[in-house]
This record gives sequence, structure tokens and C-alpha cells, in this order.
Amino acid sequence: MAEFESAHYKLEYPYQRTTGPVTGPFLTALRDGRLIGIKAGDRVLCPPLEFDPDTLEELEPDFVEVGPYGNVVHWTWIAEPTRKHPFQEPFAFATIALEGADTPIVHAVKASSVDVMSRGMRVKAMYREERVGAITDVYFVPEAEAYDQKIAKGKGDVEISQHLISLDYEETFTPTRRRYLEGLKRGVFIGQRSPASGKVYIPSRGYDPIERVPMTEADDVELPKTGTICSYTIITPTAYYGQKETEKYIRASVLLDGSDSPLGQQDIRNIPLDEMRAGMRVKCIFKPEAERDFEGIDNRWGGTGGVIEKWEPTGEPDVPFEVFSEHVY
Amino acid sequence: MAGEDIAIVAVAQTPSYRRYEDTEQLLLMTLTNEILEETGLDRHDIDFTIAGSCDYLSGLPFAFVSNVDGFGAWPPVYESHVEMDGAWALFEAYVRLQMGDIDTVLVAGSGKSSPGRPREIFALQSNPYYHAPLGLDPVSLAGMQAGAILEAGKATEADFAEVVSRSRRDGLSNPRAQVAKDVSVDDLLAEPYFAQPLRKHDLPPISDGAAMLLIARGDKARELTDKPVWITGIDHRMESSHPGLRDLSVSASTKIAAEKLGLDGGAFDVAELCVRYSPEEILLKEALGLGAATRINPSGGPLCGHPVMATGLARVCEAARMIREGQAGNALAHAASGAALQQNLVCTLSADVRGVA
Repeated sequence: MAEFESAHYKLEYPYQRTTGPVTGPFLTALRDGRLIGIKAGDRVLCPPLEFDPDTLEELEPDFVEVGPYGNVVHWTWIAEPTRKHPFQEPFAFATIALEGADTPIVHAVKASSVDVMSRGMRVKAMYREERVGAITDVYFVPEAEAYDQKIAKGKGDVEISQHLISLDYEETFTPTRRRYLEGLKRGVFIGQRSPASGKVYIPSRGYDPIERVPMTEADDVELPKTGTICSYTIITPTAYYGQKETEKYIRASVLLDGSDSPLGQQDIRNIPLDEMRAGMRVKCIFKPEAERDFEGIDNRWGGTGGVIEKWEPTGEPDVPFEVFSEHVY
Repeated sequence: MAGEDIAIVAVAQTPSYRRYEDTEQLLLMTLTNEILEETGLDRHDIDFTIAGSCDYLSGLPFAFVSNVDGFGAWPPVYESHVEMDGAWALFEAYVRLQMGDIDTVLVAGSGKSSPGRPREIFALQSNPYYHAPLGLDPVSLAGMQAGAILEAGKATEADFAEVVSRSRRDGLSNPRAQVAKDVSVDDLLAEPYFAQPLRKHDLPPISDGAAMLLIARGDKARELTDKPVWITGIDHRMESSHPGLRDLSVSASTKIAAEKLGLDGGAFDVAELCVRYSPEEILLKEALGLGAATRINPSGGPLCGHPVMATGLARVCEAARMIREGQAGNALAHAASGAALQQNLVCTLSADVRGVA
């Protein structure tokens, strides 16, 4: 079934980093359209470091202005920039020996063509219109392509810098996960029974982790829609990057009848918080087929995405803890 | 090296896949089972397990924990992990065995690069204030390093192409190679630049894969195999993370590692070098003092398959294979980490426990 080709997911970490007594003034200077280095003995280091790289002695924050001109030491022409590069058209990365500095800075050179690039070429620092106190506030151009800029000084010191790490992944579904997804589309739970241990896994990762036995389609089993709440947690949302919840809600693990691995992270909204308990018997009500959403199901955690309408209490007597104690997580 | 005699008793590698359609755990499980079968060991006979992998590559926090499935997750294994190439897991394993209280360590490296965008991911290992925001990636740094080598007069672009041509041809006889072909230097030089002076073929492929080996102390090693491959030395050294502070036209840390091991450029039959970008071979040969008597990367090396986090350990596996198969008496294996050969590990292997092969 072509619709279950791959899962796309994004990994994001928003970091705020303190800049400290050396990086802070450097980033502040960049924001204000200046380049500074730090004195380390007889040398000037740019970008400035907190420690002398040779002696490892801590350096006093004794800065000197460097640049804005410099000479290219080594360079490479980036024909196909990544999305994270400072320019989306071809450009050069280079080590640049800035006037007044003794160690070269690694940075981007925006040049009209690779043909103007050469070792020793003179470049000039240019600044972005919008500056935030980051290394990306500046870039370099060949001297002949430079022009005068009027840079307004910003307010205050750059004491915190923001870094959003954002990565995209596109992973082909494993054959096992694809059959599990096709099952959910049909409204059934497809697991696998280990030929070695007899244990039933859902969603299966395609192997028995205890016996180290790979499994195949021949090991697939269809599981019933009934099961037991084997553990749960009531989550009180706190504010964080990406948080969408505002009210308390339940996440539960459901051990389907005949299975040895609970379906984790089940979203429970229909059972009052104070009635929730482990041992409760429940039945899965799938959404109508057209409304089933498979977003969020990947090779890793598995999960059930937006496929399930709710887990409905069946009213059967609770299952004693001893019966499912092996399966609590 | 003084201390316990330690040998590789079994090696296993998956092929390098452009896109492996199953899980990283299954890659590892296949290799665990292969090694257990070869040695006749039960999983519970293995005293310690250590793996190298990268959560950012998988895109999943604690991905390394689920990888333990590949070693057999129950009852719990005595286990460790490095967020580094498996070659550094081997280093830790070697040090661990020196304590003398356990006999065997299973060492693994694994990674699937196919789901993510390696250039974007590995830019994040650079300085978070000065380099990562620029997206400064290993390919770009390799390009600058290649420029530095040319400017130092140590090689020409034809020399880079020569490395590629020979490696990809050698890959033809390696069943684990992902990219292998017989292509001439002239044809390679006719290709367009990608990160000038590098062309795309100077770069490694994007790969999924895993490598694993079992090491054991002296008597245990002899008991487990009649062809132990002795680890006669292992050392690793690191350079500054600021490329501006390094001389990119030499591999200073490789040279120090070689000196610490007392290598005098003595003849190795084989060297498996972690040449991810073709110009690196020139720097590594120089730093290690390797001459014409040493065959470089008979496996084809990382230019034929680059399962990140396993690539370095795979060099050790390939070198050990040459000794086990009787094609070499001794061998050198090298692993690299970071951009532009920032960190380097050197491991020497011999069929003879005293290294006089």
C-alpha cells in the first residue's frame, strides 16, 4: 500500500545559551558592526576564546578591534548549500586572517562567482540588516564587491544567545511497521508472535528482543480490541516549547488481550481522572476509516497516531494486579 | 603494549546500504547472532557489551538504549555506550579488559544515515557559538582541508582522484561495499566540483550499517579461536575544535597517536584507514609513515561505504579479516571522528601476540 511509505519527523531543541565574558562581548560587537579579538600573550585570537589554546591559561577579557579587512587563507566553494548554511546560493567557506588578528576565523564569503576566489584574496566584513548578536550577523565579501554600510549600535550586551536546533528525518517504514499500519487502516491490531518464546508483541519491531529472533509476516497475529489498563499517568501540562495541552489529561498503557507488550501512550479523555485505575477493562473504538490519521506513527515508538476514537470501559470486573504485573510500564 | 594480552576473536559486519529498510536494532541483532554462532558462546557468556552510535543520527533521544535490543535485552546486559564511532567503544573495551576481572567484551558500532541529513546533523558537533550557526559541516571542512593540502604542495587533484579510483576498484571485491566501480583518474577529473577542490566522488556515500567484534583476554581468546588477532597497540588523540587554530595540511593528532604507540613507520602489510574524503589518505599516510610496502584500504575503505558510527570500527574488522585470512601478518587500523580529521584513533593488530609477525 503506497500510502505507508515513510514517516517524516522533526527533532527540535530550542537552546538558550549564556555567552559569558568573552563570547558575549564578541557577539555584542558583531551586532554593533565590529569585530574584536582577544589578547593572548603576544597574539590576538579572533574569534576570541576564553582560554589560551597553547597554555590553557584563562584569558583576561582584554579585547582589541580587528578587521574589517582580511585575507583568505583556505577556501572551498559550496556548490550546493545545505538549508543551514548562511546563503542558499553557491558561496565559499574560508579561513580568513583578519587584519590585527593572529588566528584565522572560519566564515562564509559571499562572492559573485567562484572565479574571484583565490588564496590570499582580500575580503571585507559586511553586516546583515537584522542583527541579533550571533556569528551569522556578519559575512565576508571580496573587497571589490564590498560597499559602505551604516550600522546602528544595538542596546545592551548580548548575554544570552538563542539556538534552535531543527532537524528533519524521513524514514522508510519497516516491513513490519507497514503491516501494522495497514491493520490500523482496516481497524484491526496486527502484532507478532515470537516463534521462539511465544510472546506476542504489538506494535512489533520485527524481532523478539528477548530471544534475539527476527520475525516475518508468517509470525503476524491479529489481536482483539479488548484489553486491560496496565498503567497510567495523569499529566499536568507545563509550558514548554511546542506544548499544546492546557488541561490535565491521562496517558495510559493498554495490554490487549493475548498480548505481552502494552500499547503505550494511549490518550484517554473520556474517563474521568478520579475513575481511572489500573486493572480497568477497556475496549477500543476506532475512528471511522476515513478519519483515521496516521501522523506520528513511526518505526520507533509505534503508537496509534490519530486512529483511535477512545478506549471505552467495558464494565467487566477489574483484572487483579498479579495478572498483568509483568507488563506494567 | 604492557598489560593484558587482548585479541579480536570474531568480527562481523553488515554491508553498507544506501537505505536499509529495517531497524538499526535488527542490523545489530544479525551481527550478535553471527558472532555467537561463530564462537559457540551463549549471550550470557559475554561479560560486557559496549556500543557506539549517535542519537542525533537516529533523530531519537535515547536511541542507543533501544539498540540494546540488538544484543539481547533480557536479562539485562552489563553495558556501556559511547556517542562516538564504535572504534572508541573498542578503546573503552580494551581499557576495561585491562582491569583483569572479566574476559570478553562485545563491541559494536551502528548507524543509519539515510533518514536524516548528515551534513545538517554533523554541523551541530562544531562550536555552538562560532560554527554551528553557520551550518559548518564536515563536507565543507573537508573541502577547506583539501585546499590546504593542495596549497601546501602535498598533492594534486589527480592524487585525490587516484585514491578514489583505487579505492572504488578495490571495493569491487568487497561484498560489503556500497559504491564500487572501475573508473579512471581522467574520468573522475572530468566531473564537476562539489566543494571545490572536492568532487562528489571524493566524498563517502551516505550509508546505513553496523560493525561488531568480540575481544577477549589471552587464554580466553585462545580458547575461543585458533586465529586470534592480537591488539598490539591502541591510542587516540584529539585536536582543537577550532579549525582556525589547526594546520589543516597535516594530521597532527594521528602523528602523536603513532608516536605514542612507538610506530616508526615500520612495515605493516595492510592499513585500513578511515579515509572519508580522498585527500585524508595523503595526510594519514604521511602521519603514520606508511610507505609503498603497506597496502592501503584493500576493502575499498569508507569511500565505498560509510555507515557513520561504524565506519571506524569497520576498519578494525577489515584489518582483522586480512590477518585471519592469512593475507597479512600485521595490520594497522585507523578511525577518525569530528571534521577534518579532528580526532584520530590508531590500532595495531598482529597474528603474533608479541607483534612480531
